[in-house]
Amino acid sequence: MLVLLLAPACQNGDFLEVKPQGVINANNYFQTAQHAIWSVNATYNSLRDWNLTSLPWLAMTDIVTDDAVKGSFPADAQRLTAFDDFSWDPGFPEDIRGSWRGHYQGIFRANVAIDGIPKVPAMDETLRKRLIGEAKFLRAHFYFNLVRWFGDLPLITRPLTQDEFYTQTRAATAEIYKLIAADLTEAIASLPEKSAYAPEDLGRVTKGAARGLLAKVYLTTKDYPNAEKYALEVINSNEYKLLADYPKIFLPEGENSSESVFEVQATALEASYAGATAWNMVQGVRGTPNLGWGFNLPSDDLMKAFEFGDPRRDATALLVGEALPDGSALVEDNPQMENERYNQKAWTPAHALLQDNGPSNIRVLRYADVLLIAAEALNENGKPQEALIHLNAVRIRARGTRRNILPDVTITEKAALRQRIWQERRVELAMEQQRWFDLVRTGQVEARMKAVGKNFVKGKHELFPIPQTEIDLAGGNIAQNQGY
Amino acid sequence: MRSLYTLLLLGATGFFSQLQAQVTITGKVTDEKKEALIGVNIQVKNTTLGGVTDIDGNYSLEVPDGQAILIFTYTGFQTQEISVKGRTSVDVVMGEATLMINEVVVVGYGTQRKSDLTGSVGSIKSSELQKVAASNVTQALQGKIAGVNVSSASGRPGEGPVIRIRGTGTLNNANPIYVVDGLILDNIDFLNPSDIEGMEVLKDASAAAIYGTRGSNGVVLITTKKGIRGQKAQFNFSAYNGIQQVGKRLDLATGSEYASLVNEFYRNAGGAAPYPNPESFGAGTDWQDVIFRDASIQNYNLSIRGGSEAMTYSISGDAFLQNGIIRSSYFNRYSLRVNNEYNLIKGVKLGHNLAFISSANNREPGGIVFNAYAADPTVVAINEAGKYGSTSTNSNVSNPAAQLEYNSYNRGYGQQLNGNAFIEIYPIKNLTARSSFGFNSINNRGKGYEPQFEVDDKQRNPQSRINAEFSRFNDLQWENTLNYSREIGIHRFSILAGYTQQARSGERIGGSRQRLIGDTEEFFYLDAGDVETATNYNIGNNPERYQSLLFRANYNLKERYLFTATFRRDGSSKFGSERRYGNFPAFAIAWRVTEEPFMKDQKIIDNLKLRASWGRLGNDKFPSDAAIPTVTNNLSAVFGGTESLNFGASLISLANPFLQWEETNSTDLGAELGFLDNRLTLEVEYYQRNTNKILVPVPIPDYVGSASNPFVNAADVRNSGFDFTLNYRNSVGKLNYRFGALASTLKNEVLSLGTGNEALFAFATRTIVGQSIGSFYGYKVVGVYQSAEEIAANPAREAVKPGDLRFEDANGDGIVDSQDRTYLGSPIPKLIYGFNFGVDAYGFDFSVDFNGVSGNKIYNSKRAARGFGIPNYEASFLDRWTGPGTSNFEPRITNGGYNYQVSERFLEDGSFFRLRSAVLGYNLPKNLLERIKLNSLRVYVSGNNIFTQTKYSGFTPEISSENVLQVGIDGGVYPLSRTWLAGINISF
Repeated sequence: MLVLLLAPACQNGDFLEVKPQGVINANNYFQTAQHAIWSVNATYNSLRDWNLTSLPWLAMTDIVTDDAVKGSFPADAQRLTAFDDFSWDPGFPEDIRGSWRGHYQGIFRANVAIDGIPKVPAMDETLRKRLIGEAKFLRAHFYFNLVRWFGDLPLITRPLTQDEFYTQTRAATAEIYKLIAADLTEAIASLPEKSAYAPEDLGRVTKGAARGLLAKVYLTTKDYPNAEKYALEVINSNEYKLLADYPKIFLPEGENSSESVFEVQATALEASYAGATAWNMVQGVRGTPNLGWGFNLPSDDLMKAFEFGDPRRDATALLVGEALPDGSALVEDNPQMENERYNQKAWTPAHALLQDNGPSNIRVLRYADVLLIAAEALNENGKPQEALIHLNAVRIRARGTRRNILPDVTITEKAALRQRIWQERRVELAMEQQRWFDLVRTGQVEARMKAVGKNFVKGKHELFPIPQTEIDLAGGNIAQNQGY
Repeated sequence: MRSLYTLLLLGATGFFSQLQAQVTITGKVTDEKKEALIGVNIQVKNTTLGGVTDIDGNYSLEVPDGQAILIFTYTGFQTQEISVKGRTSVDVVMGEATLMINEVVVVGYGTQRKSDLTGSVGSIKSSELQKVAASNVTQALQGKIAGVNVSSASGRPGEGPVIRIRGTGTLNNANPIYVVDGLILDNIDFLNPSDIEGMEVLKDASAAAIYGTRGSNGVVLITTKKGIRGQKAQFNFSAYNGIQQVGKRLDLATGSEYASLVNEFYRNAGGAAPYPNPESFGAGTDWQDVIFRDASIQNYNLSIRGGSEAMTYSISGDAFLQNGIIRSSYFNRYSLRVNNEYNLIKGVKLGHNLAFISSANNREPGGIVFNAYAADPTVVAINEAGKYGSTSTNSNVSNPAAQLEYNSYNRGYGQQLNGNAFIEIYPIKNLTARSSFGFNSINNRGKGYEPQFEVDDKQRNPQSRINAEFSRFNDLQWENTLNYSREIGIHRFSILAGYTQQARSGERIGGSRQRLIGDTEEFFYLDAGDVETATNYNIGNNPERYQSLLFRANYNLKERYLFTATFRRDGSSKFGSERRYGNFPAFAIAWRVTEEPFMKDQKIIDNLKLRASWGRLGNDKFPSDAAIPTVTNNLSAVFGGTESLNFGASLISLANPFLQWEETNSTDLGAELGFLDNRLTLEVEYYQRNTNKILVPVPIPDYVGSASNPFVNAADVRNSGFDFTLNYRNSVGKLNYRFGALASTLKNEVLSLGTGNEALFAFATRTIVGQSIGSFYGYKVVGVYQSAEEIAANPAREAVKPGDLRFEDANGDGIVDSQDRTYLGSPIPKLIYGFNFGVDAYGFDFSVDFNGVSGNKIYNSKRAARGFGIPNYEASFLDRWTGPGTSNFEPRITNGGYNYQVSERFLEDGSFFRLRSAVLGYNLPKNLLERIKLNSLRVYVSGNNIFTQTKYSGFTPEISSENVLQVGIDGGVYPLSRTWLAGINISF
């Protein structure tokens, strides 16, 4: 009798069906054009992630090279000395895993967008194409960093399902580059030029950004004709020109300047940290004035790399006793700091809230970089005269109004000119997180690392190790890089 | 609803069925000294019938028939349940004995005679609960029930302890549930201890299975005081007043010692010594003096209880006022409770238990305990000019004195209304139908304010700031049960069946603003701030719904063989539709050996009961959105010349649509023994709880790109151990004394962590298969490197110098590196124990309670927190290594880095033994009381946490946490206090 009495009430399943409050879940996402825009904005949001802007990023781009040292107090984030002395291994320090993880999380968001936007029932088709193009650019950007650091990679092009988590294998580097090139080619086709965007969309990826990045990709794969082609397309688009005053590039007024091809957009809001990165704080002056943690300090070797009188040296390093660029204070000596000399390009004036509300846009691809890519590709393609035009354009700008410094380069012999272009890249782009990729790409890495006394092992250290956790979890499906 | 109608229908028919022959029962109720007890409440089970004893202890009542069961209740005594068995005269002796044959204990959805129990239930009476002055009654359980580990996470006023019943059976929320007068709750911070009649802890599956998917971590049943039928109004007033002090202060380096150490640090690093004359600082500032204070604790309670034939009533009002031993912290609670029952129609009882609570608290400034520990002692707290000293310059922490001025407005206010209203109907003989509607409604608000200030360029707030939060939470529970019990000759049985449902919902709304137009409390509203700086949020909880069937049968054959079967079927909205329902059965048997004829001739053992139980329980305390991935909002991107935020939202994590509750299979074997006329009792139990399908975020490769690892029902954990409880009581002339002891052992072991058994890491801990949950993980310390030769012979991967710690090369590969980190101990005690002694004579009573734990470790992480600035040192560091042979324990002076990694250096023995309470009371004699027209008057003095014996060097060895992977890590815990009290209880 009891069962009869009570059973009907329990069969009433509706009582247990509840809706989540105030959130969208996977079952009702990608229903409107708004959802499509949100998913792509969320992918841009990854660009400001700690792992993509802060210690892991700086460690594996600048600190590891001849341009910079770890910085801060010796005991602070002591693990990062592994990047000064090349003592990292697959399990240590955690920053290698941080970079890997952070980039794959960005790829995840790009994949969600690329997978979901085509499913939106009704939306403006031009916008749909543009958004997919933006997501593909960002995916290519993430993969490009990963493939240059780690080589062969699990090639993930959509969100995985539970049964696929542990079964991925590493796709060959060429396969990764194939996806990057395909993504960027599609982005070029579907993205507008910088000038064609509405003012409120300033900072979204453009046709020029996709071309510029693709030129760099081809330069990296030594496909010089294609590198030349895409770099020249950027140049000939007349969308960009060098900013006259080099130090200004890195000041707030230099954000999204005529020289900007692609930069990570950030801002210090009054009310929250939602628009910021930790990039400024991590590299900020430690002590007095108290601007940050003081990591990623320009090395002595970098200081010596500048030609006599090159004003870019002063624009790159902020020294003890020097006034801040806005003249608000002098940098005081901090006795606990070693090699105290800060990355001036990461300096930012006073802003809302505290240090971690870092407002600087991170310059990912400057027009000067594109010019140097063009110069390098043209030289490799046997067009030294054309190469010199672009190389010297960069030098002329750096020279400014001064006459006795940075004379025009006139060498046309291929190997010598190649060296000059590489040298120019180093000083023009110093402390902008380009150096490691350039050193490995150009094969200079072994010689340079040995020159500054780092324990570089040829055939091993060109690539970082796949994080040990990945090897362990994948149960034999993921192989480790050579030498680790 | 249909079932309610049916119940009402059954109720209506019941009026007629009760019209039958009645029997009159008479008798006398006395205490153990044969003195008459006046006002003992007698109730006929499963009816509204009842009565009360007169001035001579006599009673007389009408019962339906000779098979009735009488329930005798009297405050301060064990409730008893007695079968009439055809008698017309039933005399009763009420006793304080812990094992009376007719003693009644509360079980889930009912009561049982203790002698009939087949499961493991630990009880504690109201008098024991009053021994510890605390806002939360669970504090009083410490060291009182075997198998129950009560450990403070903090001494902050108003905060309850962490309770683990028979170990930690999950990697998620391991808290028990609380059932207050039938209302299922997650915490009882609101509950006024003096309203409580008794508490029962359901430890094994047989006892807790009736709570199904929520019983896995154990169940604490609480019964509040009710009125007494037919008794004239009785007023009770009680009050205590006390003082709390920090139990222990730490011996820190003085100003001059600190300055010398800093000099040494800089000299070793090749720099200049910053203090030319360290001695000039003398003792310097002891920042402990700045933050700690002697704090008051007060409680006032007034209650009125009584009843007539038609109703009983119990009304109590209570004020609990506690200041914290850290300045600026306090907790005040005002509560009102009304528990009434009405017998308005024959065969129908109505009733309600209602509580209204209002509380206010203030939290101390964040991190102030650690800051007082670490702050530079050469700095003055505040100078003559009223300027705060800068402690961040050297020691990189905020000046605690300035924090107390600027960061101490952290208010919380709570209002809570809860309870239930019920109807009980007795439709046919021996059947009770009950329907109860319970609710718990909580409204909280919080306000935080920080003025604009600048102590130095790290400790500053450029703009004044206000934040506010309002939240509400609602819980509705509807429970319908039928209870049938009967005796037929040698058979006695009872059956319970029920249907319940529950719905919970809630939301929070809050915001912040800066640049207030005024800096006094009347401006602490968001609108007094600049709208340009506004942030806000409003978050809805996912609704949680339950629907359950429950069933229990108890069968007693010849008073010797006892059987219990329990079953609950739970449906929960937390799970996907495929995994929505779960079944939770339990079975138990018991054999009362001493009732056997062959035991009647022996005189040694008065009571011997053997019992065994098995059952399955669930745990569903984990996020209700773990099964379906939700779109994460506010992943915004910055675009445009004006750099504005563009809303972004996406899926960033994967989820698991196949989730279900965790399951515990629990086995319990027990023996209860009584000797010397049951004056000596002993209970021994062995238990094993195997929890399977524990939700664990099984690591997935990072290349999947999910921001978090989806939960999988994958891990297995086993808890096993013995519980011992011993009690002895005796009298010598007018002197009564008693002694009790309990001990429980615990072995906690992770059996599986799912695919690949990947370890779960948290700060300083690692959870792996074969060890206990949250085991400490780091380097073993061999000693201190005394020389370069020793380093050469035992190389470390990091560059070390003589004077640095020498870690053990645990894997024996010839070099010390991160692979050598290993198991360093467990934060879970292997043994928990307590004992107590009490004596009373000539109106005086005296009791002491001790408790302790052993076998656990504590990671003293505040000692290890170095690297930024130079925090102050403990005086013990003065014995550091300064040259070969100077120390093999404390390394040379460095600031953070290598020597401060997680290692045995900071791992300390967490065992302790404590005098938990001592009470001395005096009851005024009866003749004096009669003259001043009082029923009773007792005055007492008592102390809590009077001394603690431990090797642990921190403020307190009780370091706990709700997070089972992070237990036993002391980063600067709010210390427990030592309390001295004086109190009075008056009844008239």
